[in-house]
Amino acid sequence: MKIILNGKNIKCKEGKTILDICKEHNIKIPTLCFIEGLKPEARCRLCLVELDNKLVTSCSTYPYEGCKIITDSKRIRKARSINAELLMAGHVKTLSVDEMENDLYKVIRDLGMTRIRFEPIIKYKQDLSESIIRDDNKCINCGKCIRVCGEIMGVHAISFQGRGHYEHVSPYNNHPLNNVACIKCGQCIAACPVGAIYEREHLFEVIQALKNKKKHVVVQTAPSVRVALGEEFGMPPGSLVTGKMVAALRKIGFDRIFDTDLGADMTIMEEASEFVKRLKKNGPFPMITTCCPAWIKFMEHFYHNLFPNMSSCKSPHEMLGILTKTYYAKKFGIKKKDIVVVSVMPCTAKKFESTRPEIDSDVDYVLTTRELSKLIRYSKVDFKKLKDEEFDNPLGISTGAGLMFGATGGVMEAALRTTYEFATGKTLKKVEFNEIRGIEGVKKGTIKIKGKTIRFAAVHGGSNIRKLLKEKDKYHFIEIMACPGGCIGGGGQPWPTTKEVIKKRMEAIYKADRNLPLRKSHENPAVKQIYAEFLGKPLSKKAKKILHTHFVKRSEF
Amino acid sequence: MTEFLLELLKKEVKKRGYISEEAVKKISKKTNIPVSGIYGVATFYSFLPTKQQGKNVIHVCTSPTCAIHNSLDLIKFLEKELKIKLGQTAKNKLFSLYETSCIGCCDEAPAMLLNGKPYIKLTKEKIKKILRKCKS
Amino acid sequence: MQILRKTNLKALEKAKKLGAKKVIDILKKKNLTGRGGAAFPTGKKWEFTLNAKSDTKYVICNANEGEPGTFKDRFIIKNNPETLIEGILIAAYVIKAKQAFIYLRGEYDNLRNLLQKTINKVVKKSGVDIKIISGAGAYVCGEETAIIQSIEGQRGHPQYKPPYPAVDGLFGKPTIINNIETLTNVPQAILFNDWDPNLRLMSLSGNIANPGIYELPVGYKLTDLIKKAKPKNKVKAIYFGCFGGCMPYSKIELTPDSICGKNCIIGSYTIIVVDEKQSILDTALSIAHFYCHESCGKCTPCREGTIRVCHLLEKIKSGKATKQDLEILEDLAMNIHETSLCGLGQTSTNHLLTALEFFRKEFEEKLR
Repeated sequence: MKIILNGKNIKCKEGKTILDICKEHNIKIPTLCFIEGLKPEARCRLCLVELDNKLVTSCSTYPYEGCKIITDSKRIRKARSINAELLMAGHVKTLSVDEMENDLYKVIRDLGMTRIRFEPIIKYKQDLSESIIRDDNKCINCGKCIRVCGEIMGVHAISFQGRGHYEHVSPYNNHPLNNVACIKCGQCIAACPVGAIYEREHLFEVIQALKNKKKHVVVQTAPSVRVALGEEFGMPPGSLVTGKMVAALRKIGFDRIFDTDLGADMTIMEEASEFVKRLKKNGPFPMITTCCPAWIKFMEHFYHNLFPNMSSCKSPHEMLGILTKTYYAKKFGIKKKDIVVVSVMPCTAKKFESTRPEIDSDVDYVLTTRELSKLIRYSKVDFKKLKDEEFDNPLGISTGAGLMFGATGGVMEAALRTTYEFATGKTLKKVEFNEIRGIEGVKKGTIKIKGKTIRFAAVHGGSNIRKLLKEKDKYHFIEIMACPGGCIGGGGQPWPTTKEVIKKRMEAIYKADRNLPLRKSHENPAVKQIYAEFLGKPLSKKAKKILHTHFVKRSEF
Repeated sequence: MTEFLLELLKKEVKKRGYISEEAVKKISKKTNIPVSGIYGVATFYSFLPTKQQGKNVIHVCTSPTCAIHNSLDLIKFLEKELKIKLGQTAKNKLFSLYETSCIGCCDEAPAMLLNGKPYIKLTKEKIKKILRKCKS
Repeated sequence: MQILRKTNLKALEKAKKLGAKKVIDILKKKNLTGRGGAAFPTGKKWEFTLNAKSDTKYVICNANEGEPGTFKDRFIIKNNPETLIEGILIAAYVIKAKQAFIYLRGEYDNLRNLLQKTINKVVKKSGVDIKIISGAGAYVCGEETAIIQSIEGQRGHPQYKPPYPAVDGLFGKPTIINNIETLTNVPQAILFNDWDPNLRLMSLSGNIANPGIYELPVGYKLTDLIKKAKPKNKVKAIYFGCFGGCMPYSKIELTPDSICGKNCIIGSYTIIVVDEKQSILDTALSIAHFYCHESCGKCTPCREGTIRVCHLLEKIKSGKATKQDLEILEDLAMNIHETSLCGLGQTSTNHLLTALEFFRKEFEEKLR
């Protein structure tokens, strides 16, 4: 098809929207409600262009043979400006306020607008939960959070309520998020273009702890943080910044910097042993992983029948948290009450997890990757110029297996590497399981252990989880992660987290695994030492007491 | 053909006067539609209240033709008579007062709906009579 | 009145003898157009749906008339429901639909029993199920894509087109959506040789002695119509419903169909008479209020704009507004008109744009 785009004759394929075509030709068009891969809703009315002298939304309009498209004109700018102004009115009154770098603000800046002529209308209360905060006054009704929560996560905790000017995002019957079946995954935060939904920050408390000389502040970082943090400082997605991150944390003033990857290795020791035990007892299958607190909450709300299938392991950072306050504290003679454990996670559900009474958490504060980047900036650390440094002993040694926890399929791969050797006593030669790598929604494979074919699967994204659980009985072992892509696509990761970005972060993880000398959790010398000095062996009485947990039933609504 | 959400909700309003949280949960289980979605639908429509209503629900038309015929004055009159403001339900749960968009009685304006039934060519006297009948 | 002529299932009989294609030909030849406002040729609409490939198809009768000043549907349901139902059955026959819906606006709940009784009487063994779905007070559900959403159990949000309902409609199936007046005309157009395509139902209201439904030909002079209506005072302006915009009476030496100007559209032949005792500003405020109440909330200009229009009009009324406010109002009105997603938003400021064109003085007088 031939069309005229901004005066130039161009050829384009049919079935592409004007927005698609503009993207191909590097023409920037502002969008706020558009979500890659989902049907456009054409709500925000900012992607307006002229199609044969008519204003149309480029996200939802297809060109036709010979049509004339103009993407920038006085008329277009005026229309976009007024719509942006209407949206911004609910936000801030003047633009001199240094608002968070949000997409709407960027649109307004690009349009060269300097004033908002409408008074703000404040009519909603903030919705405060332990991990997610919603401010409907800032909301621009783009609907992204709702679609992500429903269509991608399969949770449907929020929806549009009311009509017209009173349309707003809310859980049913205007309940706060805490009272409804919300899994706290934070994907709504990642989707929100204007910062109307954000994590409950623990930055203030962490800074207070750092300033308190009596406190011994220990920080640990999740595997997926090191492949994403660089993006916050202008580095390309997929940059592995482990060394710089550790250096930054040390500069900020943390007393010890430990690696959650070690917690992941511990998880594998326990989980693999659990699975081997189930193999002997012939069930219950499938066994399902429990590293993801959003998935745990998902299960507690919607899948009560899965309680016997769940592994009883705590998540890696909780394991490392309690090891810090028991094993490490004892070994180095530090009082438990003086230790503050801070976890840097890609995740908002971990904030909720650390308040669960079932866990009685030893993690005091959870920061998201985004919060860490703020902390680094507050501390005036020039991140890009930092020289690489190493994690601290004794909880800083880890393996490729632990690192892989960051990506969907990674926990399963790590578990298989160890399970096979635990069950058979033989060495696993081919350690890479390519069939459960990648961003496919459901990935599956088989492995022979002692002549028995073990069927395993890895799934991520709530609606994929619902799909897979319908045929769960086909499998022996399932890894479940709530967020698309696993933790690298978590709700606490840097913006934006697109499919492309997720792929890059994933590549970084697998590349790092390939380059590590230790790739199996049970080969980690620190792990061996912890069992030798403190826990005995996996699933010992002590291990069970401190590394395992249980679950509670929650309402499906 | 499966059951239609809109019809289920209307039935509920007919039965109990409003859509309660329990009712929504029941409908959710029956239809597999998430509760947030059902509330989303209910709150979209003017005639699907999610809070308890008065025994008598009055919707006064305020669209242009009725407005030309002073329906706004009638609302003020009703507010005084019922001792409630527009959009409220009386404490004794006898009346709820709302405004509504055109109810298609423009040729017989001003008009209102009382429990879904149109009352036309309204005057203050007529309204007084209607209210008296409701109270008895 | 032509619209009240009964066809007693004779038209359905005839349609079945002729077959689907010929029925469509007749509708095309006789030039039946949609009476909801867009005036799309009915035969063409049906042909699209007939040609769409699918084993399931639906017919929806749009009985969600909510345009202030319009009460044609009520008139037809009360006076000729049999012919309406026959029209639905013919539509179902033509596209081989087994299921039809009547989306009856919530405000007309009191007509539901009458309609249901007529369905029970007329439908009998036609093999078509006609189900009444009661709306619940949402004007926007008169928009065809919003009706579909509403019946599907969603919030009544209009969708952009294409895809058109004729191809991708209710539950994703090809769907005919016609309004009551159109469907009632179908059997009459098929059966009667003297059926006149030019006759329209016009709803007249306002401060007049003879409000009501008039059936008159397109091309009938507005001034004559207003005379018939017997205004009680000197007429100032005519509003063509809320979405049609307004015209000063002095300029109305015209027929309804010739006045379609820049922002003034005759649409569904709704005529509200505003006389000299009433202020245009009050009328504008009443209409603005209506749109603010009925906006679905989906798109930015309509959701955020309609309330701002109300606020600005109130400000003008209170005497606190400045010239700049009037400028903002005009900018905003044009923007809502140009950039809204559906017909409701796009036409929601016609009344204001025309009022500012013809009665600007009444606004300017009030400025600070």
